[in-house]
Amino acid sequence: MTGLVPVAASLAKREFTRFIRQPQRVVGTVAQPLLFWLFLGAGFGGSFRPAGMENVTYLEYFYPGVMLMMMLFASIFSSITIIEDRDAGFLQGVLVAPVSRLAIVLGKVLGATSIAMVQTLIFTIASPFLGLHLGAGSLVLLLLGFVLTGIGFSALGFLLAWGMKSTSAFHAVMMVFLMPLWMLSGALFPLGNVPQAMKLVMLANPVSHALIIIRAPFYYGPSVLLGDIHYLTSLSVTIAWALLCLGLSMARVNKREKGIATA
Amino acid sequence: MITIQNLTHIYPGARKLPPRTAIADLSLDVKDGEFTILSGPNGSGKSTLFRILCGLALPSAGTVTVAGFDLFAQPAKVREVMGVVFQSPAVDKHLSVGENLKIHADLYGLKGADFVRRRDGALSWTDLDGRLDHKVDTLSGGLARQVELAKVLMTDPKVLLLDEPTTGLDPMSRRNFLAALHKLQKERGMTVLMTSHVFSEADDVDRVAIMREGRLLAHDTPAALKAMIGTEMVVIQSKDTEGLAARLRTEMGLAVRCLGDEVRLEETENGDSLPLLERILERYRPDILSISIKQPGLDDVFIHVTSKAVPDHALALDLKRTGT
Repeated sequence: MTGLVPVAASLAKREFTRFIRQPQRVVGTVAQPLLFWLFLGAGFGGSFRPAGMENVTYLEYFYPGVMLMMMLFASIFSSITIIEDRDAGFLQGVLVAPVSRLAIVLGKVLGATSIAMVQTLIFTIASPFLGLHLGAGSLVLLLLGFVLTGIGFSALGFLLAWGMKSTSAFHAVMMVFLMPLWMLSGALFPLGNVPQAMKLVMLANPVSHALIIIRAPFYYGPSVLLGDIHYLTSLSVTIAWALLCLGLSMARVNKREKGIATA
Repeated sequence: MITIQNLTHIYPGARKLPPRTAIADLSLDVKDGEFTILSGPNGSGKSTLFRILCGLALPSAGTVTVAGFDLFAQPAKVREVMGVVFQSPAVDKHLSVGENLKIHADLYGLKGADFVRRRDGALSWTDLDGRLDHKVDTLSGGLARQVELAKVLMTDPKVLLLDEPTTGLDPMSRRNFLAALHKLQKERGMTVLMTSHVFSEADDVDRVAIMREGRLLAHDTPAALKAMIGTEMVVIQSKDTEGLAARLRTEMGLAVRCLGDEVRLEETENGDSLPLLERILERYRPDILSISIKQPGLDDVFIHVTSKAVPDHALALDLKRTGT
């Protein structure tokens, strides 16, 4: 069997090559969240006065939330190209090759994550204009947050897309499933003043934890964060989520369609 | 090289439909270095068999060994020695020819100078010279097929499976593709199993297997299969096919069959056909549009074998006749 790393790297490189050859896709995925951020930020800016955050503008509050959105949507929508690969026939050639099934999942997931990273990093350029200054240590933690979020959610996208016949079904599922998870993560509004029941939902929501590990490095350095139980909890949850989704995806690819037992 | 034993595949019935048996207790042995064509009418179970053989589906029952490995227990071992050419091309159209070959090499662990040597070797018989940088979607159907075959041959498989690889090719491209395939198969001693509907492709292969309704009806050399329906046959076209056939049966005692707009008298010995033709022509001239003596081809064998409504015991008989 061919080694895991070269196969995954080759397949991930293919994803990336396809992405940069479609400039519309690049522009669209960067511009959409940017507009979202600017318009919502400007619109809500006047009425955003949560307790304890008087000196935080909504544009600043929403900034990590938009980054999260970019990571989520870019990675998930890149990993659904698995549906295209199946339709176009490319996937069957990979499936009959002597490669580990994990390499097939990782190829797609790492490709999707790197695509999402490029977009999100372009957006990171805006941070100095908000008065947010990242030290080297914080930048490393931020990148770690991006990578883990990208892996976890592109693997989720892979898992959901694997059995689907069309990308339109996938878009519909994502709109009713992923959008609410993102909204309930604290990306749009702080979790402070919501009912207890909703708070529980937010805590069980893996997207909330991804938001925490993306937002925290903008305000604290690694020395503080690596000793903070809330940060470490969210970090562990995000890692566990990524491993779970990767494991389930691999099991899904490994499963071959089987004829029913003879009577 | 490929041994299929008592293979059965039953699809679960979707939404109120009963389960459907695609393959029923099929056994087939493809020997080392043989070129075998697998044929059968639409819905005969060819595609299901193909999916099982390339390891994409698991059957309901039965065993398959490829190059000595159990396909279901050791799929990874089998994948290493097998090359597969699918009906829908397994190349990325948005990438160039060279990029596609590189990805395929990565999947099979070919690197560096070895990769370049094998790539150039695999391309040497194609018309893809100087097209490494061309995107696959700018190539014609025939050239895209060549990319596919070059890609698969680059890894030097012991066993090559092809699923109707010439679909959509013009006659010239088809001929070139098959010529290249035959040449490479002989040179490398590859075992080839190819599904096909086109019998002009089957004449120079080692064996032909014919399936219907998930069963193997015949498996033999092209010559032996042709001998099955006699050495010659008389084919008559008439305005009233059924009527003429009935009269030939009752009035002349001939075992004729109707196929479409033709009446066929198969299994005539050499030399008997011409006098027979003359007798028929003499008696039924006004009813006959055309009459001819034909050497049976493999498509005639195919029609002969697959068109009969044969009960199970007769299937066994057919198999005995073809020496399988």
